[in-house]
Amino acid sequence: MSAVIETTGLTKTYGTVRALDGLSLSIPRGGVYGVLGPNGAGKSTLFRILLGLIRPTEGSATVMGGAIGDPASMRRMGSMIETPRYPPYMSARQVLTWLSLAHGLKADTTRTDRWLERVGLTEAADRRVRGFSVGMLQRLGVAAALITEPELIILDEPTSGMDPPGIQEMRALIRSLAHDDGLTVILASHQLLEVQRVCDRVAIMNRGKLVREGTVADLTTTGERLRLSLTPVDSAPQRAAAILGDRASTDGTAILAHVPRAEGPALIRALVEQGIDIDEARWVGTDLESVFFTETGAVQTPEHDHVG
Amino acid sequence: MWADAIRAEAFRLSKSRTTWFWSVFFAPILLLVGGAISSIVIDANATKMAADPEAPPELTQMLSTQPLDLGQAMIANAAGLSNALVLLFILIGAATVYAGDYRWETWRLVSARNTRPNLLLGKLAVVVGLALVAMLAMLVSGTISDLIQAMVFERDLAFTLSLGDVGQILLLAGLCLLRIIQFTMIGLLAAVMTRSLLVALFVPLVLGIAQFFLPMQVLPPMGFLPDSWLSVLVNPGGALDTLKTLVRGGPDAAAVADGMVLKAWLSFALWTLIPAAGAVAWFNRQDLSKE
Repeated sequence: MSAVIETTGLTKTYGTVRALDGLSLSIPRGGVYGVLGPNGAGKSTLFRILLGLIRPTEGSATVMGGAIGDPASMRRMGSMIETPRYPPYMSARQVLTWLSLAHGLKADTTRTDRWLERVGLTEAADRRVRGFSVGMLQRLGVAAALITEPELIILDEPTSGMDPPGIQEMRALIRSLAHDDGLTVILASHQLLEVQRVCDRVAIMNRGKLVREGTVADLTTTGERLRLSLTPVDSAPQRAAAILGDRASTDGTAILAHVPRAEGPALIRALVEQGIDIDEARWVGTDLESVFFTETGAVQTPEHDHVG
Repeated sequence: MWADAIRAEAFRLSKSRTTWFWSVFFAPILLLVGGAISSIVIDANATKMAADPEAPPELTQMLSTQPLDLGQAMIANAAGLSNALVLLFILIGAATVYAGDYRWETWRLVSARNTRPNLLLGKLAVVVGLALVAMLAMLVSGTISDLIQAMVFERDLAFTLSLGDVGQILLLAGLCLLRIIQFTMIGLLAAVMTRSLLVALFVPLVLGIAQFFLPMQVLPPMGFLPDSWLSVLVNPGGALDTLKTLVRGGPDAAAVADGMVLKAWLSFALWTLIPAAGAVAWFNRQDLSKE
């Protein structure tokens, strides 16, 4: 699988602050790639370097096989960094026409209308953007990123400011772009659930460094545990724990056995042979949120459904 | 790529009706209305004004019964195409173009796909186009104003324009265009450095006023005469006025001191190329993510 983005030792310092600290990352072609991290992790700095908006202090990166800023490579990439703002006197259709011209394309109504439809802005195509909500601006921003029919798009917080139906639509659009249109989508989001549902691979960053990288499936099945509800409840858990040793933990109501899937049946047999009744046995995975908090050391609170 | 930047910038400008009104149409409308009102007022007081021994020559000419030569009036109008009123209102459009992407944060999208010098020079090309349209509007407005004047003072019309006169109009218009571009160039530098529309608007204005008064009020007491190097170099507007005087010829041109042409061109080049190069260099190194 060829890489659309490769960074080697990418570092960006602002005074004494290291926004990126020797980041080496390879983002494969195809699918949706999520970049996660708490505020200050370096996600936006990474995107801004890749887009040529700022220069790295050290290290190098290639985008679509070319150096950063290489016009041929940049033409194959679209982006939306944070909530976009456009000249308020222009309509959504005019914004896309203007950006098409800026990118060296002809003004093509069919193309602009197609992307307006894809992002759900057909009804608002001729409305001036000064009256747009944040969610509508986000949609227009995505259309603007796609107007040149790029092979790679970078979306920074694409659902920020959107209502729940809008978030669902955007999620569907992102998946469709990757899986139906064959684009590589790189996405940064604070919404961990959204990332888990949309992304195929993720990179978790913290303090400018890459702390974990892999497919969502790998990350959420690593650390998979066998959850066992045992009887009699007064003695069985202790006996099971004695058998499992340091591979056992508890979630308060059941024993969690930290064993590979292949060892599951043997363990169940061993427990039954020891006279322990198993009311329920099921494999439980970790969600991306748990992985994120473990890797970044961020404090997880009950109301956390996203990282501030 | 430069062509892409020009096309996009021209498209965006074409959609901004406010910019068009203020930078292109307001000054000609003001000239037209002001000219018509002053003609009517002067006509109403013609007898009294004509008898005034201290009446300015323009007034005497206006009140004369000789035919109004529209061709020659056009030459005079062409020489005035970079007057303060035109400069002020074109500057509004120029500042909007130069600082526009900082206001709407669209550099993030656009700059990833084109080189930064191309993008900035695209803006410059569009401002040149805007200035040309504004100058044409002023020329048309001036001619209509002359026609109204002829009608009010019941003067006959004439039209004499030799090939040399056409050349003179083109040269004068060209010098006026250079003056407009030079005047907005400080706005370009200010826009890039400060990312502010207001600064892009006010810095050239304040500097322009200072440049106008320095050689007249401040430098002579210090021993620098109006045709000295320093006086010419600090005032590019005055320098281009000198070049226009030379193009128009006559006794005023004969009175222009030797060496003034070189000084004038140097002054113009200094105030045009240095801010332009500075803006491109600054923009090239700029962190466009901080908006």
